[in-house]
Amino acid sequence: MSLLDAPPHVITVGTSLLDDALAAQAVPTTPVAWRPPLPGAARALATVLADPRRAAANAEAVRRLTSARPYLVGVRRAAEVLPERTFLHAGPPITWERASGPMRGALIGAMLLEGLASGEEEAVRRLERGEVELRPCHEHGAVGPMAGVVCPSMWLFEVRDEEHGGTAFCSLNEGLGKVLRYGAYGPEVLERLRWMDEVLGPVLARALARTGPIDLRALVAQALQMGDELHNRNRAATSLLLRELAPAVVEAAPGQAARVLRFVIGNDHFFLNAGMAAAKASTDAARGVPGSSLVVAMARNGTDFGVQVSGLEGRWFTGPAGVPDGLYLGAYGPQDANPDIGDSTITETSGLGGFAMAAAPAIVRFVGGEVEDAFAATRSMYEITLAEHPAYQIPGLGFRGTPVGIDVALVARTGVLPVVNTGIAGRVAGTGQVGAGLVRPPAEAFVKALLALADSVSDPFE
Amino acid sequence: MTDLVLVRKGAYHDSVSLMRVSRALGELPGMEAAMVAMATELNVSVVREMGFEVPATEPGDLLVALRGRDPGTAAGELDRRLAELGGRRGAGGGGRAEDPPLTTRSAAARGHADLVLVSVPGEHAFCEAVDAVEAGLPVMVFSDGVPLRLERRLKELGEERGVLVMGPDCGTAVIAGVGLGFANVLRPGPVGVVAASGTGAQQVTSLLDWAGTGVSHVLGVGGRDLSAEVGGLSTLRALRMLDDDPATELVVLVSKPPAPGVAARVREAVAAMRTPVVEAFLDEGDLTGAAEAALRALGRPVPGWPCWDVPAGRGRPGGGTLRGLYSGGTLKAEAELVTGLSGTFVDYGDDAYTRGRPHPMIDPTLRLDALSRVAPGDVVLMDVVLGHGADPDPAAALAPAVARVPGPVVVALVGTASDPQDLRRQAAAFQEAGAAVFLSNAQAARHARSLS
Amino acid sequence: MTVGTHARRLRAGARTGPGLGPRVTVTGAASTAVRPLLEGPRRPARVLAAFPSAVYLEVRTELEPSVLAVVTGEAARLPNAALLSAPLPDLAVGEDASAGDGTVRIGRLTLRVRRWWDPAPPLGPVDPALLAQAAPLLDPWEHGVPGGETADGLARSPASGQGLPGLAGNEAVGLLAASCASGWLLGAVTAAEQLVGLGPGLTPSGDDVLAGLLVTLRQLGAAAGVEPAVRLAGWLAAAVTFDARTRTTPLSATLLHCAARGEAGPEVIGVLRGVAGRQPLEPALRRLRRLGHTSGADLTQGMAIGLASVRALRGAA
Repeated sequence: MSLLDAPPHVITVGTSLLDDALAAQAVPTTPVAWRPPLPGAARALATVLADPRRAAANAEAVRRLTSARPYLVGVRRAAEVLPERTFLHAGPPITWERASGPMRGALIGAMLLEGLASGEEEAVRRLERGEVELRPCHEHGAVGPMAGVVCPSMWLFEVRDEEHGGTAFCSLNEGLGKVLRYGAYGPEVLERLRWMDEVLGPVLARALARTGPIDLRALVAQALQMGDELHNRNRAATSLLLRELAPAVVEAAPGQAARVLRFVIGNDHFFLNAGMAAAKASTDAARGVPGSSLVVAMARNGTDFGVQVSGLEGRWFTGPAGVPDGLYLGAYGPQDANPDIGDSTITETSGLGGFAMAAAPAIVRFVGGEVEDAFAATRSMYEITLAEHPAYQIPGLGFRGTPVGIDVALVARTGVLPVVNTGIAGRVAGTGQVGAGLVRPPAEAFVKALLALADSVSDPFE
Repeated sequence: MTDLVLVRKGAYHDSVSLMRVSRALGELPGMEAAMVAMATELNVSVVREMGFEVPATEPGDLLVALRGRDPGTAAGELDRRLAELGGRRGAGGGGRAEDPPLTTRSAAARGHADLVLVSVPGEHAFCEAVDAVEAGLPVMVFSDGVPLRLERRLKELGEERGVLVMGPDCGTAVIAGVGLGFANVLRPGPVGVVAASGTGAQQVTSLLDWAGTGVSHVLGVGGRDLSAEVGGLSTLRALRMLDDDPATELVVLVSKPPAPGVAARVREAVAAMRTPVVEAFLDEGDLTGAAEAALRALGRPVPGWPCWDVPAGRGRPGGGTLRGLYSGGTLKAEAELVTGLSGTFVDYGDDAYTRGRPHPMIDPTLRLDALSRVAPGDVVLMDVVLGHGADPDPAAALAPAVARVPGPVVVALVGTASDPQDLRRQAAAFQEAGAAVFLSNAQAARHARSLS
Repeated sequence: MTVGTHARRLRAGARTGPGLGPRVTVTGAASTAVRPLLEGPRRPARVLAAFPSAVYLEVRTELEPSVLAVVTGEAARLPNAALLSAPLPDLAVGEDASAGDGTVRIGRLTLRVRRWWDPAPPLGPVDPALLAQAAPLLDPWEHGVPGGETADGLARSPASGQGLPGLAGNEAVGLLAASCASGWLLGAVTAAEQLVGLGPGLTPSGDDVLAGLLVTLRQLGAAAGVEPAVRLAGWLAAAVTFDARTRTTPLSATLLHCAARGEAGPEVIGVLRGVAGRQPLEPALRRLRRLGHTSGADLTQGMAIGLASVRALRGAA
């Protein structure tokens, strides 16, 4: 059929007058609720959208992202993969001077755990002097929740993307309450980390050697259908993982199995870290496609919110991290909250978490909303993503795939920012978790990425 | 009298909607002035000239300036009307349960559509248009102010995907009877039009309609399509489409003369067509002549074009300068050509006058101002364009101003009997106001020259 | 076409005549077939039948079409239709109405036309080889479709109907087919006279068969350059329309007048375009067959006869 064969159904974008004129002719229309783009983005948008590489580059990047097949293949001690005298941390690069309370707390804890300082003051002094190098997890194939601090005696999930061959790491989850990732470093925190180093890590490693690789793509797909969104709710996924691991844990370490399993059961978020590594493996597959405006990482260090884009490999674009809006534990309130922190936004980057809210109506009250808010959150993310995930589906949306593959150009055009589910850390070092809720990234990080993409176009239009 | 100035962040509405809100607020009892507009440079300067104190703004802000006995009440009414604008699409429009799409890409992904009509401000138009082409949909870009290189890129993409790109700056199209942008209500028939000029196409098709000859389609291509830079990509595609269309027996190509290299390509394409083509290149002849040539090519009689002359005894003394006050660029160019440039001609539809404010076919303000400043004895020549999208009753505002002009007024009334504004009623209103009214712009221009 | 049994009756107390409320002006699109009616002087009309998405108006005039279908939403776009851009208000049989002076008025509703469509769009030249390919697909015995009630009074066929033509096996239809194919005018006219008005409902089956035939002979005959088919269409049309107003329902008589001029709804036009190779034929046939109780099947049967005749007459010519 050619355009000229019959009266057309028209998409109208712009002045309502022209849509009204069509409606008056009994012509069906689909009006676009258009708004001007984010301030300062207009010119760069035209350049980026005119870039002849973009369409194919984005198709390739998002194809890689959604076709990744992450498997949990092992649990390894960080010392095996970390460079000398280096700690990893969440988010874009940060210095001790600019680090927030929970980030400092976690770094102090890591110094103490590694025996690099005998007390808090000494740890601070050595960190101030830069005796340990601080590097983002993302630059070492890793992700870490909240402060995301990784030091040599921590154990890491190792996830391999069987489709594209990449590997990603994430630390083991310490549980809830006072934990290092929220910046707590008291004796009980360090004692738990030592037990994880001596018992949990080695036992899980031996168990995984018995089970063989575990298909995380399938596990995540199943958990979505069981009410998890894989960032703030991991109850189903944790149970599914435990079902895979439990017999092997018993066989691998009969004497310690009960304590290990109780530790895992005691924490609904145990799966989160494995899921983050899976998300990291998937998003890493999409990196480095020249001309692609696909977001391959969103991460926060408690001070800055950073974004990375496929077509601008390795560069960070940042804006100030915001304070999440949510519910607080006990007597804590917004005044106790630290700005947004952690690499767990890798879940949203891969089409989970806030993007899959519609799969997890059970947690909407947690963020102070109604079930319809969860559906609205997910639906709005289709406006800024390039694809629908072929495996991660949402029963409540008619098994529609989750929105996946954030496009900085679409973010800049619509002004719709990614929805992120997150925990809230206390601002004072050593406090721990004070709440959980939703946070919107700073728009300027996306605009900066867009401007850099425009600069990278060899043949700009003007 | 009290002034009230409000600045709202991030509250976007299109200029036509805001013009309607401004009018409604201005008509509230006790209100002296009301302006609701996006805070573009032009609009801010207008509000300042009205004597308002305007704080620092950004172009994305909504600027509200109210003057009257009780501007607070008007501000309340403003909120109600803005909320109405915001809610109109969500709740109404045939019970769309889905969230409205925020981009053309998102709208296209929902299926059903055959065509995209883009009328966002020019600097943003490329993004929406490229979405359409990438989704394999033909697109009409009504917006102007799109850089030439982006136009070229858009049309190259159109070639890759095999879809027609109409515009940018395509004011008029008709697809299978559906009027898009500023188009007239035309009877269906055998003439297909490829037009680099919207008002040019409107003039030709209105005359054909008057002659009882209908139109199959009007495919606009934008004023720069036949330039060397763009190379006539859309014109060539549009010609092929009409050649393949069984409803089209004759093609009229309306344009300024093409760039030399492009002209050769167009000639080649025309020679290869099975369908005969009437070329209406302005400079070589006028639009009325093109309509007549088309009628002759179809073997149909050419009628006398109508004129509603000044009632006897009400003629005003002329002899002064000829002042062309146009809303259509091509109509203005035609008038200049026909009169041999003997006068001053302004195109109020030009980019320079439309940034951040509606087109003069919708908003008469600038031409009302010009009419009020005509010197005694000067001859006014103006176009009034009817059809979809145009002012629902242009005579309501313009005829009283025409009546006050201290010299002869000649109106080129471009429209059809089926147009929403009612051609005969409009003609009668301007005639009653003392103007001579012509359906043919060329005839109107000749008449005006004879009076100056 | 058979009319459903849910036609709205005038309800006591629901009457809101002129003057009892503000007039509502609605704009829309219309077939150029009704343009003479709308552009003429205002003539009185009456509501023949009213359904949720279609109202049929009979206008007091010698012009044809004399019956106007005012429709909305997904109702069938008959060649005599005006399509509203908004839902139909509550209207009832017997409501005061008029057409002319550029408007249609029914009760408090005023309709103004903002777009015209051609109910007989030219097909363009057709490669005769395509006609042979299309022929088997139009065979009415090959395809049946389920259906249900609709909002325009043109009920979809129930499962028991199987979408077969209402006059399957009828002798007059057989005579019509044979006469047209052999170019025997007297036989065709004799058969046609037996078919006008044959069958129940607003558009009897016999009329639908004739309408399908007339449109096909005229349009396809012209497109394939088969002059005898166009001539046959002319004679047959004259015979059928001569006294149609007295022999069948007003709506059906109007539709026969339209068909005589080659005018039809988009479903029929779609099939013609399919036969001409301008769009996929099978989906177009499915859309046509879904029309009405047996109407779509009847029209298809008429079109099949028309197609066979054009092919036969081309060979004979």
